[in-house]
Amino acid sequence: MIFNIQRYSIHDGEGIRTIVFFKGCPLRCKWCSNPESQTYGLSLMYDHRICKNFGDCIQKGKPAIKFTNEGLSIDRANIKNKEEFRDICLSKALTVIGEDLSAVELLKEIEKDKLFYQQSGGGVTLSGGEPLSQNGSVTYFLDELKKNKIHTSVETTLHVTWNQIKRCLGRIDCFLVDLKHTEKSKFRDYTEGDLELVMTNLKKLNELREHIIIRIPVIPGFNHTLEEMKGIINLSASLQSVDEIHFIPYHTLGSEKYKMLGMDYPYSNHKAISDTELTPYLEFAKLKGLNAKIGG
Amino acid sequence: MPKLEDKMIEIKESKKISKRIHTLREKVLRAKPSVCTERAKFYTSVYKEHEDKPVIIRRAFALQKTLKEMTIFIDDGELIVGNHSSQLRAAPIFPEYAVDWLPEEMDDLDKRPGDAFFITEQHKQELLEIADWWKGKVLYDKGRALMTQELRDIHDTAIIKATGNLTSGDAHIAVDFIKILETGLSGYLEEIKSYAGEVKGYNQEGIRKAQFYDALTIGIQSMSAFIKRYADQAKYLAKQEQDPGRTRELETIADNCTHISEKPPVNFHQALQLTFFIQLVLQIESNGHSVSLGRMDQYLYPFYKQDILTGNITDDQAVELFENTWIKLLSINKIRPWAHTRFSAGGPLYQNVTIGGQTTEGMDAVNDLSYLILDSVGNMKLTQPNLSVRFHKNISDAFLMRCLKVITKGFGMPAFNNDEIVIPELIKLGVEKEDAYNYSAIGCIEIAVPGKWGYRCTGMSFLNLMRVFLAALYDGLDTRSGKTFHKGIGHFNNFNSYEDLFKAWKHQIKYYTRKTVEIDTAVDTALEENVPDILCSAFVDSCIERGKTIKEGGSKYDFISGLQVGIANLGNSLAAIKKLVFEEEKLSKEDLLEAIENDFTGEKAERIQQMLLNFAPKYGNDNDYVDQLLVDAYMEFINELRHYHTTRHGKGPIGCQYYAGTSSISANVPSGSVVPATPDGRKAFTPVAEGSSPTSGTDTKGPTAVFKSVSKLPTDRIMGGVLLNQKLSPASIRNDSDKKKLISIIRTFFADLKGWHIQYNIVSRETLLAAQEDPEKYRDLIVRVAGYSAFFTTLSPDTQNDIIARTEHFL
Repeated sequence: MIFNIQRYSIHDGEGIRTIVFFKGCPLRCKWCSNPESQTYGLSLMYDHRICKNFGDCIQKGKPAIKFTNEGLSIDRANIKNKEEFRDICLSKALTVIGEDLSAVELLKEIEKDKLFYQQSGGGVTLSGGEPLSQNGSVTYFLDELKKNKIHTSVETTLHVTWNQIKRCLGRIDCFLVDLKHTEKSKFRDYTEGDLELVMTNLKKLNELREHIIIRIPVIPGFNHTLEEMKGIINLSASLQSVDEIHFIPYHTLGSEKYKMLGMDYPYSNHKAISDTELTPYLEFAKLKGLNAKIGG
Repeated sequence: MPKLEDKMIEIKESKKISKRIHTLREKVLRAKPSVCTERAKFYTSVYKEHEDKPVIIRRAFALQKTLKEMTIFIDDGELIVGNHSSQLRAAPIFPEYAVDWLPEEMDDLDKRPGDAFFITEQHKQELLEIADWWKGKVLYDKGRALMTQELRDIHDTAIIKATGNLTSGDAHIAVDFIKILETGLSGYLEEIKSYAGEVKGYNQEGIRKAQFYDALTIGIQSMSAFIKRYADQAKYLAKQEQDPGRTRELETIADNCTHISEKPPVNFHQALQLTFFIQLVLQIESNGHSVSLGRMDQYLYPFYKQDILTGNITDDQAVELFENTWIKLLSINKIRPWAHTRFSAGGPLYQNVTIGGQTTEGMDAVNDLSYLILDSVGNMKLTQPNLSVRFHKNISDAFLMRCLKVITKGFGMPAFNNDEIVIPELIKLGVEKEDAYNYSAIGCIEIAVPGKWGYRCTGMSFLNLMRVFLAALYDGLDTRSGKTFHKGIGHFNNFNSYEDLFKAWKHQIKYYTRKTVEIDTAVDTALEENVPDILCSAFVDSCIERGKTIKEGGSKYDFISGLQVGIANLGNSLAAIKKLVFEEEKLSKEDLLEAIENDFTGEKAERIQQMLLNFAPKYGNDNDYVDQLLVDAYMEFINELRHYHTTRHGKGPIGCQYYAGTSSISANVPSGSVVPATPDGRKAFTPVAEGSSPTSGTDTKGPTAVFKSVSKLPTDRIMGGVLLNQKLSPASIRNDSDKKKLISIIRTFFADLKGWHIQYNIVSRETLLAAQEDPEKYRDLIVRVAGYSAFFTTLSPDTQNDIIARTEHFL
């Protein structure tokens, strides 16, 4: 399931790229800036700022959707078929996030920018959510991309089974691997995930000499100290397949989306990290012989 | 795609601004625009005195008197001299074009919401007297008198506007600087003399030619005398001057002026000075704008190269001279009636300078001067000149990178034109290969061959497409004026299919296309008969040879275009109706019209507006459905144009044809202000879309999708310009990697997709909002309005808001 296709992306891999965002993720990172990507099913997003109070959604969704003193209230757990709401809201204040697109439909959208990929050495980046945790159709989609000679990158947490990775091997030109921490307990506390799984997969990919770029989300209160960063950088530098590392500073652009999804944002009190705060990390990574960048 | 070899010699970036330039720049920025009455007085007295003379002779005498008697001055520190009026940034008045607006508007000139002018009570009195004499004698009245009542009505209801053409005349031209620098003014006098010697006085044509040559001779001689006045002034000042350094400079100025007043220039400084004098005098002669400088990096290069080789000049000195010249270009100012000002917000004169491109042999023409011009324009960050770069597929990444460095300064320059579409299409139109390779941008984005092309390669009348579209829905009725100019083929409520709607569009657009040509013909006839340009004709091939002004058919080529405004709205309206009314039947015809008539107020109408906005595809998102509907509809206009010719047809020039054009400057705001609500969900009287750009806020798929949509337009037939404005946030081009990616998509847009033009606004939304709040602090903030840049704080709030609303692409 796809929740967004973003053309002309220049910070997620080589050249000009189209990013396909897959819906569904095994992790629950507390700082996550794409909360709509977390669940594997459809999500209902509601933006009160553009709501015109036409009331069509209430007609369709009562009693789960109703007007209250604080605006529209949506009891998402009690809405069985979210698909029914897709074209209900004329002002698109209420939207359904997530769409099942066939590989052919996806490819058609992606081919629109083929000339731009060719000129710039770009291509497609699969992101998410966790693209590798999708069903087998992702493999088929990657096959189609390779048949059309389109460069493929996958942005992944590697928090998937080795089989889910294995079936895509040979079809992915570059792995953009999120490496968030080196300490098992902290990783579990902040992501609900198992670092061991990530590490095992990363080591296997390294042994296979896949092209890997490490991407570190720099998160206040989680890994934003020189000591913790050194751990991640040292680990990255020890992998022969890694020569490039990206630091992605925490930003707050996702906080509004939590409200729109009726979710609580555990990180609502944190401030964005400025580029200058990353300078020591960049320097250390360079010292370790890595090609280091802020952003992608 | 093979990586291009970067230019071997990287010209060192010139960033340092000298103290002199800094002072001159501050001075011109601080100068308050005002009104100068000198030219108006001289022209009026000569017209009165010589009422018996043919108009061309009267204009020659008037120009002579003005150049002889107008106030001249040389400012402290300047190296390039020449002034437009009695004070810095004072606008002269051109009474022979239009005067009625003066008494009507003079008390409010300093209170205008945008482009205000200061005027003294004494000047008001003088202008009232002047206006009184000119009543009924001016171009504006004569042009309107040549229109039928029907045309005047169409013009007055603003479906087609040509006010600017009647109040400010022609221009939109670049003269033959190559020849001017080669032969000097004396060369022209000799040429005129030799042709005048062959005139046969025994026929009517001969009599006209004799007058023409007399006028030209007076004009050129007056210009020589004008330049000599500066030589005298510089000599006088040199004698008073205490500082020996400045004394030497003044002596150089005097020597330069003495020399070039007759003879061709012998060095770079002289060549640039003569170029500026030509540019200046053309704008004293005519009230037209978009007088352009052509390919400066090409025609000045031999002078630069020779001076560099002989050690006569350094790059820093050349940059300083350019910077001085750009300041001088900004010192020239024009005042226009408010009705016209709204169409070209920010008081621009669109003095275009073009760099880059190819040589006649198809080689990369970028040279050292291209870099120096680029850097100096970047250093100055002024609205003038309007800098254009000619892209071609072999242009180096190094040069494009340097262009982006200037673009990221955020004042909208340089813009790019594309050789890969312009040159082959010019050749197909019958332009000789050598000329086609030598084209330059004129004014905003339009193109012509300098020195060989007539006026207004674009800039004829403005056609308001959405008014035409609405007439198609209402059986020909223009709901705004209540008039039916052209009975339709039925009412929208009775249409059974999209095909019926398209037929109705076709029926109306064919009619209004013809009306634009009829209005243009009236305007051109009035211009030809009443305000012939003398010097401008002298400097355009082949006027002297034919003994004709440009307007009489003197130029080698003549292709023109009007401006079609509301491109994106047209496509989006068609798509909304086709999909929602005829295909999905979600919306009834009656409800749609009712919603439009209610301007989308009331819940029912508001629901319809939201449906139109959110449930129909929009141009600018690489969606074939809507893009193709737009192309089909626009082609009806373009195909109809083929049937018509300009007033010069059969009189000498190659072409004499029309093509389409979309470089509608800031006209999208006033054009929108006379259009009721439209089926694309646009509210009544709000701006329509600008140029060929998507409607603000509807291009949600990013710049590559916009490129794809724009390139689906029949760009080979829109040679009047396919204007695309993209706004980028500063954060999106922070580093070299970002810039390289931007260069890469520009290459794809131009080399593969054959895009026509692009320009960038790189100012953050926050900055614009801050400037609205605190205009004093942002006096020098420049934004790209349409095909040109303007000082943001001089724009009216409407235009400011329109710019803020344009989609900002985060890359």
